[in-house]
Amino acid sequence: MEKHLYRVNFNRKIIVFLVLIIISIGGPRAVAFEALVTNERSGDVIHVDEDGRTNHVVPICNRPRGMVRGLVDSHVIIACSDDHKVITYNRATRTIESEISPVRGAMNIAIHNASSRLFVTNEGAARASAFDLSSGQLIAELPTGLEPDGIAITDDGKTLFVASENAGLVHVFDGSTYEQQGVIKTNLRPRRITLFKKELWVSSEMGSRVEIFDIETHAKRDEVIFAPKGFRPEQMTPVDIAFNDLANEAYIALGSANHIAIVDITTRQITKYILVGRRAWGLGLSPDKQTLIVLNGLSDDFTLIDLQTKRPYLTKRAGLIPHSIKVFE
Amino acid sequence: MRSWILLLIIATSLMNHALAASFHLAIVTASNAEESNRGRSFAGIQTRVERPVRRAVELALFESKTSFEAFGIVPELQVVDIDAKRSLKDQLKAIHSNALIILDLPKPEFIETAKLLDERGQTTVNVRHPDIDLRDTLCLPSLYHTIPSERMYFDALGQFLIYRGWRKVLVVHGPTDKDRLRTQILERSLKKFGANISDFREFTLSHHPDDRDKNKPEFLTGDASYDVVAVIDSSKDFGRYIQYSTRRARPVVGDVGLTPAGWHRTLERYGAPQLNERYQSFDQENSLPASEAMSDEEFAAWSAVKLITNSLGTIDAISETLDPRKILAHPDTQVDLYKGTRGSIRRWNNQLRQPILLATGDAVVAVAPMPKFLHPKHYVDTLGLDEPESRCKLR
Repeated sequence: MEKHLYRVNFNRKIIVFLVLIIISIGGPRAVAFEALVTNERSGDVIHVDEDGRTNHVVPICNRPRGMVRGLVDSHVIIACSDDHKVITYNRATRTIESEISPVRGAMNIAIHNASSRLFVTNEGAARASAFDLSSGQLIAELPTGLEPDGIAITDDGKTLFVASENAGLVHVFDGSTYEQQGVIKTNLRPRRITLFKKELWVSSEMGSRVEIFDIETHAKRDEVIFAPKGFRPEQMTPVDIAFNDLANEAYIALGSANHIAIVDITTRQITKYILVGRRAWGLGLSPDKQTLIVLNGLSDDFTLIDLQTKRPYLTKRAGLIPHSIKVFE
Repeated sequence: MRSWILLLIIATSLMNHALAASFHLAIVTASNAEESNRGRSFAGIQTRVERPVRRAVELALFESKTSFEAFGIVPELQVVDIDAKRSLKDQLKAIHSNALIILDLPKPEFIETAKLLDERGQTTVNVRHPDIDLRDTLCLPSLYHTIPSERMYFDALGQFLIYRGWRKVLVVHGPTDKDRLRTQILERSLKKFGANISDFREFTLSHHPDDRDKNKPEFLTGDASYDVVAVIDSSKDFGRYIQYSTRRARPVVGDVGLTPAGWHRTLERYGAPQLNERYQSFDQENSLPASEAMSDEEFAAWSAVKLITNSLGTIDAISETLDPRKILAHPDTQVDLYKGTRGSIRRWNNQLRQPILLATGDAVVAVAPMPKFLHPKHYVDTLGLDEPESRCKLR
């Protein structure tokens, strides 16, 4: 019946034109990207494109969690927590290139490209480990507080920061001698640490805030406290932080508050809250910085947000408990 | 012989502090006055885990080592085992005036001790009794409760039943005074959230054919329409036999089946596996198998110590000794409970706010508050005695 109507009323050119209009207003014209997501419970990595389509599901290891870009563009490095190892995964061939083992309770990863070093937090062992990435040789073991999670190294490789969830501390280490230089006291359950220019942003999951410290002096400069409508203060459980220097914006996933917050980097003001899925925690920014991808840890899906309009436009299924995301051109 | 022993002094290497401040911690027990036989039912069958809370306290101290180092604190733990033949007052004198005192005592001894210590302005913690009267009528300003109240447990259960749409509840309860009292608390929680009670049935421990309406689960749960059976059986004598024996094929909740709990060995999220693993292995000479976890009482004792150590960064409470009053009375007191929402203290009755787990033997099915049960101030305050209904109004 409808088919018949179309044939009578529209010629083909008009249909094509209308379809083009619908496509152009229906969704943002995202530049092509490939996002990789680790799913800790289903033990796989999924390859997702700019339309939110999952093109590949690759079984990878037991409890894959932290993930970073490798030394070359086709490589990512993934912490396999229950296998106590770290693997290098080639996203082009979708195969595991190499692995470093044992890495007890491997949780999160940082790499320093210039010196080709890998830093891993060992969740159950209250330490972080440094490895030579090419040889896989263990260089040093650094004692931290209990449940080390977030880890970051400065671009110059001089300073390493490790957050310990249980201890409520960020340990600061010399990047070459591995001597402990000090500790930064944080609020409850520091999760992720992200370096931006001269600042260290730490998400305090149970303290419901992001604390901002000076990289050099370790002094606290500021903090951001959240209050999206309809949620109580203790539901703010921030985890991942992502920076967009082009827009001067920081994005913070608010966990059980099911929102992300957009924060002005300079003024620290929260400019917008965006409702996403349940227990939003992992964040990935597209290479053109037009799309933010949010992993929702309790609803096993991810949400794409258009950063021009600041609106979520698509939510798609992930694997079981999506943990980390990296986005490539 | 002195009835107390100094158990543990953790000497720490101090950074930036010329003088170390002591954190005095005491556990008061009465190993000879125990009314129960450590969780055993008829014929010695273990139906409940009842361990002394000391292991959990030591775990909390172990976890706090880096905080102690950072803040220049030396913890000192003593255990006072009350001897009923001697003066209680004298035995309590051994405890430092600034100590955090964990009371792991049967209820009569608990009340007597808590009152005595309250008169001296000493800080005590209830880690064992969920009884509402201790919160509502005893209502001591220096007594804190880190174990959930019965109201919190049953509110969590009530929310879960409504969330699942199981509104018609058949209540089966035991014959003891405690069972009847707890049945009343359950009834209030069920009504509060809008459940309907099909009937109350009291069971009797007997095998006599005349009592079969009361001693056979099939009869006990017959002649009624219900979505779910809620069982109150404080001594775990009979309730265990109700599952799979109800007249209608319905789930069983309460003291058996799906049970509200403060802590559980199978919680997968919120870092809980880390805490469970640590509890099993931190004491390398006395490690426990992976099947073991903290009981609610142990978790409450662990929470009490962590309330202090988690708040060190935000509240200044250290001079020569650490003063737990300064922390517990402070509005910013907080604790990471590994249950997804941080804990804090309800000012009106000194109860620790916390989520409640709903669990079977090997799975945490839900974490209450359940979705859509909203409170205007605190996320978890739909569970338990809220400020307007509390008869205790401390602050």
